[in-house]
Amino acid sequence: MRGLLTFGLSCLLAAPAAALEAPHYADDTAGSGIHHVYDGGWEYFVGGGLATLDCDSDGRPDLYMAGGTNPATLYRNTSTVGGPLTFQALADPVTDLTDVIGAYPLDVDNDGHQDLMVLRVGENHLLRGRGGCTFEKANDAWAFDGGTAWSTAFTARWGDGDAWPTIAVGNYVDRNAPGAPFGTCHDNRLWHPAPAGGGFAQPQVLAPGYCSLSALFSDWNRDGVPDLRLTNDRQYYRGGQEQLWRVPANGPATAFTRRDGWRKLTIWGMGIASHDVNDDGYPDYFLTSMGDNKLRVLTKGAARPSYGDEAGQRGMTAHRPYTGGSVQPSTAWHSEFVDVNNDGFMDLFIAKGNVEAMPDFAADDPNNLLLGHPDGRFTEVAPQAGIVTFAKARGASLADFNLDGLPDLVVVNRKVPAEVWRNVGRGTAQAPIPMGNWLHLKLRQDGANRDAVGAWVEVRIGTRTLRHEVTVGGGHASGRSGWLHFGTGVAERARVRVQWPGGEWGPWIRLYTNQFALITRGQEHARVWLPPED
Amino acid sequence: MRPTLPLLLILAALAIPARAAGLGDERVLGEPLSAAQAAALPPDALVTRGRDLFLAKFTSLDGAGRPAATGAIVPTAAQPDVLPLFFRTAGADSNACRGCHNDPEPGGAGEFVANAFVSEGFQDADFDTVDPQFSNERGTPALHGSGLVELLAREMTRDLRAQRRAAAARARTEGRDVTVDLSSKGVSFGALTVGADGFVDLSALDGVDQDLIVRPFSQKGVFVSLRQFTVNALNAHHGMQAAERFGARYTDADDFDGDGVSNELAEGDVTALVAFQATLPVPAQAGDLGRDTFESLGCGACHVPALPLESAVFTEPNPFNPAGNLRAAEAPVVALPLDVSGLRRDDRGRVLVPLFSDLKRHRIADAERPHYANELLSQRFVDRDIFLTPRLWGVGGTAPYGHRGDLTTLHEAIVHHGGEATESRRAYEALAEPDRRRVIAFLQSLRFGGSAP
Repeated sequence: MRGLLTFGLSCLLAAPAAALEAPHYADDTAGSGIHHVYDGGWEYFVGGGLATLDCDSDGRPDLYMAGGTNPATLYRNTSTVGGPLTFQALADPVTDLTDVIGAYPLDVDNDGHQDLMVLRVGENHLLRGRGGCTFEKANDAWAFDGGTAWSTAFTARWGDGDAWPTIAVGNYVDRNAPGAPFGTCHDNRLWHPAPAGGGFAQPQVLAPGYCSLSALFSDWNRDGVPDLRLTNDRQYYRGGQEQLWRVPANGPATAFTRRDGWRKLTIWGMGIASHDVNDDGYPDYFLTSMGDNKLRVLTKGAARPSYGDEAGQRGMTAHRPYTGGSVQPSTAWHSEFVDVNNDGFMDLFIAKGNVEAMPDFAADDPNNLLLGHPDGRFTEVAPQAGIVTFAKARGASLADFNLDGLPDLVVVNRKVPAEVWRNVGRGTAQAPIPMGNWLHLKLRQDGANRDAVGAWVEVRIGTRTLRHEVTVGGGHASGRSGWLHFGTGVAERARVRVQWPGGEWGPWIRLYTNQFALITRGQEHARVWLPPED
Repeated sequence: MRPTLPLLLILAALAIPARAAGLGDERVLGEPLSAAQAAALPPDALVTRGRDLFLAKFTSLDGAGRPAATGAIVPTAAQPDVLPLFFRTAGADSNACRGCHNDPEPGGAGEFVANAFVSEGFQDADFDTVDPQFSNERGTPALHGSGLVELLAREMTRDLRAQRRAAAARARTEGRDVTVDLSSKGVSFGALTVGADGFVDLSALDGVDQDLIVRPFSQKGVFVSLRQFTVNALNAHHGMQAAERFGARYTDADDFDGDGVSNELAEGDVTALVAFQATLPVPAQAGDLGRDTFESLGCGACHVPALPLESAVFTEPNPFNPAGNLRAAEAPVVALPLDVSGLRRDDRGRVLVPLFSDLKRHRIADAERPHYANELLSQRFVDRDIFLTPRLWGVGGTAPYGHRGDLTTLHEAIVHHGGEATESRRAYEALAEPDRRRVIAFLQSLRFGGSAP
């Protein structure tokens, strides 16, 4: 009896682990309705992205997944609130395109429906959303020449007062150039709105191109004008580097140079994730690469685009697999900052996978989930989260697909099926347990740029301010629109304000957490949104 | 007979002392109680443990004081050792719950000297808590009957959310805006309109927060549960940090307040404190003298004499707790049947809880009668002149009055009513003196134990 009691006591008194907690992810792939493989020859060693968008305006994020030589597929989200992740494939010749590298959602024509930029090996398609998850090709109607290049990067911004976006497409190797692939990077393209409206002007060539694998318009110095960051793959360029382009509303774009303060950096640039990691009010940029991932932070203030690196000191290098036995460097692709455990500290997901069979790099290369800590460090928790696989991951999306406040995860893999992971918080697939408090926000303004691309959202909880820049682009061939997620930790209330495109600050708006809310420019209050089951 | 595992759990939990008992040990806390252990304890044992903790004078060895943290409800770091361990305004301002809640017994109210300074407490603990722009002074309310109060609020929240859910379903099905009047237990909380797209117009809400959670605790009505209030107060007043909010899960530290003591209060111990407070007896009503006059003034429009309760079984944790307070899915549920033997029931068998409140917030001050807006800080989204309808049960024994405890008589408390209570107050003022006294006598009869003064 005494022995049993002692045993009982020792069980009962077991101390909990002292650390921030990783969320648990349940593997919903088998029942998700998503059976999707990204495949193809060497053109499809890169890419494998997906767009996350609400194509039927029901509040749930839907998916459009690149397939390489397999058809891309549009998946309507049929998940119930808090339930398993389920999707329904929607067949349509307009979207069932082959040769797709990746896709990005945005509302090009300001009609309230999300449109899609589909990046391809060959002609890129701009698909106009018509509602109800239907699309039509709009290249001709919008005077967009999809070209014939191997396109691997996309980003967009709205210039101040512009009715139409400025978009940029990054291209990879020019396969037709003599000596390809080495030293034959294709140049990139930039489209301003047509002066007459209703479409795009003739594209501007951004040269030299250095085999861009991700592009992002971001207001790095908060001057109100997002500039164009390109991350480039040193595997194929000669004499190249990372690039930042100054893109005026009128006139040619020009690359920032050493004279401007731009420092040369050469990496196997694969993807861009942005977030104000060091809390200085300016975005920082996590650049994925092969063994040398970077966190680029401003070092000389907003006057000069001089960036240093803090990945090492913050534990974010993720340069080698943390499990699987390989000591060779990792290959990183899509990355995304999301607070996966709603503790109020931003976390980072990184998709990993060998290009194909590169012997100098890890073959078994699991994805990373780096938990952000209050002191600015990041630590690996993918094993605790239960998301370790050795598939060759490429694109990914972290969105709340079942509208329960916890960011879920979908990963597109090369040659093997995509993975669908449901965030079940502290619980299990059968019994999820929520973590932290959260807010899902959407922005809206009248007229052009309805979704307020270029806005900054500030969420004030206690003495801390969480910041988010609304952008289109980045990642690796993968983009996301829709709800902006903020974990607020134990804060039950938050004050939210928006710096709208053009610089105008909105009022502080009071919101209770664990809600969805729409903030509309010019209005003093947010509108709460109820998921269908609530 | 071999002991079963549940029996073992109970025995194990019973073996965990709430109070340290070693020779010369100056700690008052014993071994921590986990949430599972709390659930395994018999209700009486859990309540007894909670009472022990409520009475305990926490020492620095237990973790009293918070040298590196403010009293904010969100874990907030402070510059270490700027303030003394105890500090009357910024806190920690007490080392025992009963230090303030002691009139006429532990769990009761507090005299003016037991006022607390409440603030968001987010930045400068010294400055924020003595500057009235950042701090409000509050009297200590009695906690008796608060288990029933929390249960009423939960049922009201469920009602309001069900009405919202039904409206949203109709709006989506019918493809049009649907407006629904929100009410529960006869109390109106205004209305909301749901669009076919699921967006909600909340501009017509009245006296409840935008998430439709009825928050019945604090004088502003901003706390969901006894547990949330307890976790707040443990930190603010005692510097005793509950692990469920200030522990590693949300702060990455097991000694967030930097006092050298880790995981100061375990989940089960907070549950025990809640159990003690929830089971404090209901203040009784002594007689009906003056009740008719009280009712004729319309006071009962807000000070609703009784609200009907479907179930008097108190379960912990509260299903509407936000993160940072133990939540329903995180631990076994503790069930405590509350003693309602002295309370009447309605014709549907519901317990009539005689709290004299509608658990709703009202504007209670105006230019004519500004006393109840006598503070500068708008707290937690609630304007300065808006307060939760205070519960009048026990009011005859819990002077002084008003949210600041600065009114010594019931008459003064009545005549300072403004805002939405103006009409009733004027009616009271228009009464002849003998009738006023009947009203006061009725309020005086609302006492703990039911005896008239």
